Amino acid sequence: MSQWLADVIDRAGSVQDWLSPVRGEALATLQNQQWPGRRTEAWRYTSLHPFDALLAQPGSTSAQVDSREFAIEGLDSLDLVFVNGELQTDISSLSLPTGLSISALDEPTDNARSVAGQVFTQVKPERHLFGLVNDVLATSGVIIDIADGASIETPVRVINLVTDKVESHNRVLVRLGKQATATVIEHGSGDGASMNTAFAEYQLGYEARLEHYRFALHSADAIHIGGSHFQMGEKSRLNSTLVGYGSQLSRLDVDIHHAGEHAFAKFNNIYLLAENEHFDLHSTIEHAVPNGTTEENARGIVGDNAKAVFNGRIHIHPDAQKTLAELNNRNLLLSRRGQINTKPELEIYADDVQCAHGATVAEIDDEALYYMLSRGISRSQALVMLNFGFVQELIEQMPNKALRDWLQPKLKTRFEGMEVK
Amino acid sequence: MMLSIKDLHASIDGKEILKGLNLDIKPGEVHAIMGPNGAGKSTLGYVLSGRDGYEADSGTAQFNGADLFDLEVEERAQAGLFLAFQYPVEIPGVSNMEFMKESVNAIREKRGDDPLSASEFLKKAKEACKQVDLPLAFLKRGVNEGFSGGEKKRNEIMQMILLEPNLCILDESDSGLDVDALQVVANGVNSQRDGKRSFIVVTHYQRLLDYIEPDYVHILADGKIVKSGDASLAKEVEKTGYAWLGAKAEEADA
Ligand SMILES: Nc1ncnc2c1ncn2[C@@H]1O[C@H](COP(=O)(O)OP(=O)(O)O)[C@@H](O)[C@H]1O
Ligand SMILES: [Mg+2]
Repeated sequence: MSQWLADVIDRAGSVQDWLSPVRGEALATLQNQQWPGRRTEAWRYTSLHPFDALLAQPGSTSAQVDSREFAIEGLDSLDLVFVNGELQTDISSLSLPTGLSISALDEPTDNARSVAGQVFTQVKPERHLFGLVNDVLATSGVIIDIADGASIETPVRVINLVTDKVESHNRVLVRLGKQATATVIEHGSGDGASMNTAFAEYQLGYEARLEHYRFALHSADAIHIGGSHFQMGEKSRLNSTLVGYGSQLSRLDVDIHHAGEHAFAKFNNIYLLAENEHFDLHSTIEHAVPNGTTEENARGIVGDNAKAVFNGRIHIHPDAQKTLAELNNRNLLLSRRGQINTKPELEIYADDVQCAHGATVAEIDDEALYYMLSRGISRSQALVMLNFGFVQELIEQMPNKALRDWLQPKLKTRFEGMEVK
Repeated sequence: MMLSIKDLHASIDGKEILKGLNLDIKPGEVHAIMGPNGAGKSTLGYVLSGRDGYEADSGTAQFNGADLFDLEVEERAQAGLFLAFQYPVEIPGVSNMEFMKESVNAIREKRGDDPLSASEFLKKAKEACKQVDLPLAFLKRGVNEGFSGGEKKRNEIMQMILLEPNLCILDESDSGLDVDALQVVANGVNSQRDGKRSFIVVTHYQRLLDYIEPDYVHILADGKIVKSGDASLAKEVEKTGYAWLGAKAEEADA
């Protein structure tokens, strides 16, 4: 048992709000949890050692933050800014388009309560220890509801900034009604030695369409544990991109649950890790019904002493005939001291399915490198062009141009900095 | 002399492929190298351009007075050596445009010229595209990504046109092309013949030489040039094939 967890359980006792009944159940489960160790399969390659020397403390020190840091040129978004768990945005002052309602988790409207009733802990019923921690402690967050048939052009962005040595827990609950369309951006940033958990649950109704981004861009010393969970209704469509870097410990769980037939989910993931950073992505694709499609592409570059863990699980239930599921994880290892643990996990219980998975860890492509050198391009420039190209492909697949234009140079600069011979 | 190769020996994985090759090329000359599969034609191109694993065991190659084997791959290209690949490499994720702009500017920088701006380069690239009959959309695609065999060959010629090298080695730039595409490639090459630029045209068939008139034709077999002549030698090869080489090559070895 870790001191931190004992402390969490202690603190959870004093959280009293409208979600208390559900939180109570989570707390009961949490109390029976073992602190994950090396032999806990889901944490096998990710050590929780950083929790032994945790510098972050709960409690919001209302730090003044320059919101320009989060400005993205050309992105006209509705921003909800959290700093250390405190909502800085006055939701009532936002002019929301018809069909979009946003509520703070601690000031829910009646409608928001009903959304939470369907979504909170419902999209992902089985949660790991930190998911449960978030269940019991996350009093800050938003509830977003997109009404049936509403098409919301303006992206909704939840900015979650946690400053040095602060611990914070944030929750995002989203419901897209029938034939609703929306773009949601989870923009997380942990500074210094911050520690935060941030979980989001999405419920997509019949023919709903969600464009989703999650940016987990943390400082090298930050600890970040979170997840985005999606429940796909019939004929719904998801296009999601997750980008991560930084963190001495970063663990993200993405779950896509096909609950209705003929849903389509596309999930791209990019990670660029340097120094001693650690990034762990566990994705779980559940095909519970027939005729669903999932395309998942995770690509990462690992340099220095950094470590990437990728666990991609596809579970095709016996009834889920005609499922089409593809999962691919490509890694480029730039340094001999870097480490990549990649593991696709297929569990297929239906016979009429198309399922492909692959995981590769490559070093530099010598043939392509030679081709570029033979055209006079310098070695260092060729390396950047080659190795960044494979990540750039996924950046280019992001539907939102402003986000592409913002991310491309950001990641490229980071890559140039981590280039090792 | 543009290029002077003396007694070149090279092996791959410990197996000797080039076994004492001599070749002299003056500025403006076009030399065709013909020969059966496996003779070592591509190996020669790779050794000259400096591919890893294709280093010379012995012998020399002087390129415009410099010792070619002292230079890195990119330095050889910057010095004006260009190899059109038999099998151009696909590089998904790097656009053709970005790739060519980087190479043109890397070579310009070496020559002391200012880099071309994006719009200057685009203008040149568009012209080159037209010259090799590739739609402009090919500039935006990943380098050779999903290109057909013929499109890849034309893309190589486009690069040659943009890079303005001194010595062009074309490794089977004709293979897999229909007659129209063959003409496009040949016209591309001929447009670059300016009396100073030299060419090594490697081909398995005589066909390409109907369009690109060589000054000299060499037959490469078993790692050596076994016969040299003028353009008529290519015609002879077309009639007789390479079967006679068996005896000839052994003769040369003896
Ligand atoms: N990468 C390689 N590894 C091993 N052997 C090779 C390699 N490349 C070429 N060779 C061998 O070298 C010889 C010459 O090949 P190549 O130069 O490609 O001939 P050509 O272009 O004349 O058809 C052949 O026997 C071929 O099998
Ligand atoms: Mg060849």
